[in-house]
Amino acid sequence: MAAVAPTRAEVLSLFRSLLRTARQFSDYNIREYTRRRAADAFRENRALSDAPAAAAAFVDGKKQLEVAKRQAVVYSLYAPKAKNIMEMKLQ
Amino acid sequence: MAHSLAAAASFSPPAARRRPPSQVTNAISSRGLVSFNSQRMSFVSIRSRPSQLRFKICCSAKKETVDKVCMIVKSQLALPDGTTVTGESKFSELGADSLDTVEIVMGLEEEFNITVDETSAQDIATVQDAANLIEKLVLEKAA
Repeated sequence: MAAVAPTRAEVLSLFRSLLRTARQFSDYNIREYTRRRAADAFRENRALSDAPAAAAAFVDGKKQLEVAKRQAVVYSLYAPKAKNIMEMKLQ
Repeated sequence: MAHSLAAAASFSPPAARRRPPSQVTNAISSRGLVSFNSQRMSFVSIRSRPSQLRFKICCSAKKETVDKVCMIVKSQLALPDGTTVTGESKFSELGADSLDTVEIVMGLEEEFNITVDETSAQDIATVQDAANLIEKLVLEKAA
């Protein structure tokens, strides 16, 4: 399978989808982790210059997006009733 | 620009306001009402009104929107407190790469409770662009 490097727009679109999926988590911790991990991974792989490595990273990212989407649905079934303390405004 | 719009909105046709020249001086006493008597026996009254909110739609975004955007940009890029972020600052000048820009747009989406689509997000280059887009989307949402 010929590895075609993803275009810039595709990469940004994947990043945006990951961040949007992160928003759907009701748990603060998982939400923040997803955001952080996505940002770190994309930043780390920024400098990948050869096409196969970039393509592999892109496919990996897509798989993670699928995982995140599934987990968002599962977690929403068991959403906690109380707000996490980090989400409460300072009184 | 708001002034000229207000003037255009309150322009009264000359025929309705035609008065003989002798009575023109009596009409000038009201605050904000200015009438010019030309040679042709018809005058135009230009009323200046304080610019109302509805005239600002076609102008650039409100100041508080721009300020909020600046604040989010500063916290996202972790800029030191001394840096000035104005409407004209470009994201690239502030040290943001495209990933940072995506994160900033996400933060703005959450803050203003709007959804920015892909193509619009690509065009955002300065703080002012972002603020204008936000205003537009907020208006569309409220409508």
